[in-house]
Amino acid sequence: EEEKIRVFCRIRPVNRSEATQGGSVVVAKLDDYSVTVETQRGPREFQFDKVFSTEASQELMQSVIDGYNVCIFAYGQTGSGKTFTMVGDKDQKNPGIMPRSFNGIFDIMRENGSKFDFKVSAYMLELYNDRLQDLFVSQAGEAHAQTQPHGPTRRVEIKRNRKGVVFAQGAETKEASSAQELYALFQQACANRHISATMNVESSRSHLIVGIMVESRNLTIGSVNTGKLSLVDLAGSERAAKTGAKDHQLKEANSINKSLSALGDVISALSAELPHVPYRNSKLYATRVKAITNNAQRNVDSKEIAQLKEVIMKLKSGQAVEEVDV
Amino acid sequence: MAVKCQRRLLLPSCSRMTEKKTNMASINSVEWRSICDKFTNAQRLAETESRNDPENDPFRSKYKARELLREVYCSLKSFEAGDGEEDAGGENCEQRPPDQPVDGQTEDAFSQGFSGDSPAGMRAAKLGAVEYYLGVNHVDTEELSAGQEHLMNCMKMLEKCRASSENVSLFIHVRNQLGILWAGRDETETAQGFLESAESIYQRYMKEDGRPPTDMTEYFTTEENLLTHQERTKRFELAYTHTMYYLAQVYKNLGENERAATYCHSTLQRQLQLNQFSPMEWSLNAATLSQYYITKGRYMEGRHCLAAATVISGLAGEVPSEAAAQESETESERREQLQQKRAEIARCWIKYCLNLLQDAKKLLEDNIGELDTDRQDELKRARRQEEEEEEKGRKSALLFGSEDTFDSIASVEEKVMCLFPLDFTEARTVFLVGQNYVTQAKEYFQMDGYVTDHIEILQDHSSLFRALAFFEEDLERRCKMHKRRVDMLEPICNDLNSRYYLLIRRQLMFELAETYNEMMDLKLTLANRQADNHSLDGHTIKKFNHLCSASAKYFQMFLDSLCSPEGKPPEHLEEEVLRPALVARFRVARLHSKLISSSPPVQLENLNRALENYKYVVQYCEAHPEAPAAVETELELSTEMVGLLPLKINRLKSRMAANN
Repeated sequence: EEEKIRVFCRIRPVNRSEATQGGSVVVAKLDDYSVTVETQRGPREFQFDKVFSTEASQELMQSVIDGYNVCIFAYGQTGSGKTFTMVGDKDQKNPGIMPRSFNGIFDIMRENGSKFDFKVSAYMLELYNDRLQDLFVSQAGEAHAQTQPHGPTRRVEIKRNRKGVVFAQGAETKEASSAQELYALFQQACANRHISATMNVESSRSHLIVGIMVESRNLTIGSVNTGKLSLVDLAGSERAAKTGAKDHQLKEANSINKSLSALGDVISALSAELPHVPYRNSKLYATRVKAITNNAQRNVDSKEIAQLKEVIMKLKSGQAVEEVDV
Repeated sequence: MAVKCQRRLLLPSCSRMTEKKTNMASINSVEWRSICDKFTNAQRLAETESRNDPENDPFRSKYKARELLREVYCSLKSFEAGDGEEDAGGENCEQRPPDQPVDGQTEDAFSQGFSGDSPAGMRAAKLGAVEYYLGVNHVDTEELSAGQEHLMNCMKMLEKCRASSENVSLFIHVRNQLGILWAGRDETETAQGFLESAESIYQRYMKEDGRPPTDMTEYFTTEENLLTHQERTKRFELAYTHTMYYLAQVYKNLGENERAATYCHSTLQRQLQLNQFSPMEWSLNAATLSQYYITKGRYMEGRHCLAAATVISGLAGEVPSEAAAQESETESERREQLQQKRAEIARCWIKYCLNLLQDAKKLLEDNIGELDTDRQDELKRARRQEEEEEEKGRKSALLFGSEDTFDSIASVEEKVMCLFPLDFTEARTVFLVGQNYVTQAKEYFQMDGYVTDHIEILQDHSSLFRALAFFEEDLERRCKMHKRRVDMLEPICNDLNSRYYLLIRRQLMFELAETYNEMMDLKLTLANRQADNHSLDGHTIKKFNHLCSASAKYFQMFLDSLCSPEGKPPEHLEEEVLRPALVARFRVARLHSKLISSSPPVQLENLNRALENYKYVVQYCEAHPEAPAAVETELELSTEMVGLLPLKINRLKSRMAANN
């Protein structure tokens, strides 16, 4: 069966601050596959593979563990409810996709316990500043390890094995025999996310990656299947949205032709009101807005206005006014 | 002896090597030669051969280079410095967690650590250099995290040394790279930290030492291949130019435009001094920078940029002749490029002259836009002091050029003033320079092919006349200048396709309307001066009415351009046209009440038209709450006139009835 990407939509409930501020909810579920949004130009419809409403509890993806790889991404701006969807709230009154999937996996395993033998393991990583961090390793321990003369290399790298499966080399995997154990591992990983003094979790470039491997051995035939559930809570997307990828990347000097090509861009952007921009290719050149009449010409108005004020005064005083005597 | 730091990057095989430990205090020449060769090969692979790597294996040479660099590193590591020296410096190597971005530690760089030319210092610098190249290598292969580690290792190595001519080049280079890396992660402040640190290290080194510093590549060369002082300086200065260049970009990203401008200026300066520039690119940049200075009213700097742009663009060579262009496509393109870019520079000059005149006018005008002679005297007195300041200012570090070009740039500057022109003579010189550039620009930007550009140049030319007219005392001559404007713009306005050039036509209509208005006023003033008792002859009246109607006609044309194809006026005026449209109505009203006629029915018609337009202004403002703010005074006066004109109209009507 071909890999298929499906896009789901879940409408999150109004949060506390929104509730106190008032305002109206502009998103509504039309049916299981469509959503309508109130925009300034009227209602717009959007189609998805499935739509979950605010009332419906967070339903789980049940289509996992027959040896397939499933990945769930939560993508959106900071505050849009990604972590709520993926993790749930602190007290777990509303558990998110992750805890629910942990339960779901073990439920399925329990139901099939007579026919299959299961082994569940997990790795949990954080991607920050182009580097993968193993969340099963505490940061304090990590810092210590580096001071030791013969500490092992700790880098986690992405590799592909012979079967073409992508895995994280160097990341520790831990086994779990129950949903609770798996959740405890998850909590430990999240705790490690916050400990590191050097990482700024507020920084919008930190992504959370959880991989759950389920190996099932068919007791009758003896065949073994491995499926993987990847759950990814992506960092806030608002930075990526800013004018395409990396807005603030520096343009390097070109070692070959001595060109400092970004200099022109910098200079022409120093002011929005440059009298003339000699770069015909620049965005600025194309989007200059020219006024119909520039402000300098208001002076002529002053003369006109002064004259008219005089005329008005004369008219008011009852004088018969001719603009020009003939 | 235990080796500290950087363990994470050593391959297992390398640590085995350290166990073996050669006990020599120095490297023998065969082994050294091998190290140097590997390094040279690595450079060649990374910089030259990598350009030929196939698309499906684009980093092949870089990976090979990487292996060689690692071998170099291990070999270097395995040779100890003199006994005891490493320990002595050991305390300086703090165990900082690897992630923390070290911000550059400028202060310590010159005071703490091994002397740069000591064996320990040289060893640290060499290891640091290899880490540097490994860092750059990983960045090139998009392994940013690893690249950062190597670069930070380089920083740590350098921490052990005092900055000196043996290693300061590396101090600068590694900070430049870290600046680029962090900026790429949108951590602009971190990038700023590294780059500013590079800047202060450079400045301090130049102040306290200044000798041509060793280039990193020289760490692994033989005696014969060491660089000349000249070459060393060149490379070192180039690294600092890049620091300036990157800081310009960083300050721009931080929104500190003034600082960014200063660094752009410095970068341009250094490019010329080091002869590291492409003439046309440099000229356009300088010309654009001049436009920035103009917006800030810094005409001395603006003029300097433009003069330099003119001189340097000349260095790009002769424009290929038409014949040559026809023979070869490269020549044809080159001809095109050169002519166009030089014409663009001419346009920047036009703006310089125009803005200088306009800013001078703003200083000199009174509240109705006429030249205030008292202010003029005052400014002339103040100016004598300013001229001396100008001389001093020029000596400052902002000058562009090298030995060859300083003089040529100065001679271009001498052709036009940078202080505000305060009388007609001075204004005229500025005007003529501007007009000269108009001619130049029009040669390339011809109407056929560059409609918009051509018209913009004409508009600038018209504005030059307008600005000069302000200074002209003789009213007759002033009127002639306005006539030149009309002659220039009127045919274009009428010929342009109204659908494709709507905005430009509107601009032209408005300008023509105001120009005719000016001329009308001037004619009246002139006529009144000649006659004793304010009565005008028939010829003058005819002329006056013609100008008056022409002005009203163009305002009306502008208003008509806002209507639908069927001629219906717009119910709602968009923001860009709101004020112009209401002002146009106001002026049409005013002009109609100024028209001279001896025939009462005609007078009545004129007054009715006037009233109609004043009413429109009032009614539109009532119906659209955003409108009054745009035309406060005009609205106030229109309201008055709407109240007063009907009385006048009625008096006229009664007189007409009485006479019948």
